[in-house]
Amino acid sequence: MSKKPEIKTWKDINTGGWIESGTSEHFKTGDWRSKVPIWQEKNCIQCMQCFAFCPDDAIKVTAEGKRTGYDYGFCKGCGICAEECPITAKTIKELQKKGPNVKIDAWDGAKNPEYAEKAAILMVSIKEAKEKHNIK
Amino acid sequence: MEKTILARTGNEAMAEAMRQINPDVCAAYPITPATEIMQIFSGFVSDGLVKTKLITVESEHSAMSACLGSAAAGARTMTATSSQGLALMHEILFIVSALRLPIVLADVNRALSGPINIHCDHSDTMAERDTGWIQIYAENSQEAYDLLIQAVRIGEHRDVLLPVCVSTDGFIISHGMERLETYPDAEVQKFVGEYKPVYNILDVDNPITVGSLVLTDYYLEHKRAQHEAMKNSLRVMSEVFSEFGKTFGRTYDFCEKYRCDDAEYILVCLSSTAGTAKAAIEELRNQGMKAGLLKIRAFRPFPAEQITNTLKNAKAIAVLDRSESLSTRSGPVATEIKAALYDACVNKPMQTYIYGLGGREIYIEDIKKVFNNLKDAKCGGQVEYLGVKE
Repeated sequence: MSKKPEIKTWKDINTGGWIESGTSEHFKTGDWRSKVPIWQEKNCIQCMQCFAFCPDDAIKVTAEGKRTGYDYGFCKGCGICAEECPITAKTIKELQKKGPNVKIDAWDGAKNPEYAEKAAILMVSIKEAKEKHNIK
Repeated sequence: MEKTILARTGNEAMAEAMRQINPDVCAAYPITPATEIMQIFSGFVSDGLVKTKLITVESEHSAMSACLGSAAAGARTMTATSSQGLALMHEILFIVSALRLPIVLADVNRALSGPINIHCDHSDTMAERDTGWIQIYAENSQEAYDLLIQAVRIGEHRDVLLPVCVSTDGFIISHGMERLETYPDAEVQKFVGEYKPVYNILDVDNPITVGSLVLTDYYLEHKRAQHEAMKNSLRVMSEVFSEFGKTFGRTYDFCEKYRCDDAEYILVCLSSTAGTAKAAIEELRNQGMKAGLLKIRAFRPFPAEQITNTLKNAKAIAVLDRSESLSTRSGPVATEIKAALYDACVNKPMQTYIYGLGGREIYIEDIKKVFNNLKDAKCGGQVEYLGVKE
């Protein structure tokens, strides 16, 4: 992990204010969330789309390249991981086959019980995340 | 040193200086009356006379943004613009100076809209006065050529690392053909030397963050560091002026003092008007008036000491501003001079003028009128419009 820059006076600032890289590791942004992504391991195909698309560092991956849970300290709840997940697209397609008028998307799919069962990433409310998934 | 004597317009002179500097990157968008600078330079690129990567973009905002990225990657970077183009660069100009990227910009002074106008005044660069850029105003093509070469060294100096804007008067200089002495390519290359950036965002072995968020805790300290760099630039500019003089035989200074030594009445102005003023002063001297001219080249940093030392012995001072700040008081140059004189405890009769806006011509007769009015000048004279239809 990078070090926090130590600046006591204006003379300690690097020219132009450059700092060592990776300092966003110190900057937790998880409290910005209005929705919480939930990873459902049983449905995950380990395609790494969510890891590639996450604009921050919220998708945890092991040294062996296995996606595990979330680092909620960096997750702003943007929903890009759920949107980009191919299982989301597959699940929506399946539901639409049953009823062509079904309106569902990655953001509020959790409201549909069948979608909630089959999706790999669910976006849920903060209340639901706390009560059902034990995520603060 | 062997010099080549050419007939060149201001724009051609600036493009020639750019060819000899041979920057790594230029990103630009065309605008009258600065278009030719990049048009001519793009010819140099196409002909393989420079190794510059030319980036054509969709606006001046993008041009300065591309320059910022290029400079942050350690490339020697130049661009050219004017008027609305410079105004569109506005927000990026602050970021460039804060990131301490020594981009060199050739500006051609032109009025800002509105009403829309393409002719000369200084409202474009004066509006960027507080962006943290060094500002140098060239009187003619020769100065534009010489000062653009020196700008590279001034901006890139380790104790400065600030962007530099060198400007000429739109059409009057940019499109006016004059005698220009140029120096051999190799000598100019030797003078500007190799650019050694202090940081490089593309150095993957030493990754860094540039442009990070700085809130209440350190913003003030960042500005203090910029303030110091601008103070240092006064010393560095003196050194570069002196080295340039020794190398090329033409020595510059923050100001040009023309017949000021015994002058009772001194006129202060920037840029091409100085040429007209010199002719007026010669006529007045023949009529027995001790008239002098103080032409300011460097407006940022402001060479207050040199200016007050020159003005303190005058009986009265006239200041010409080719831009309005609409404070109902003086224009930006006169305001700055008044502040400098106050700091030096000098109180002199002074008459300040707004003139030449939107390319309005200024004649020798206008300047003679200014000097003749100075005989009756009092302290606290209100700003007047020169050459306005009343």
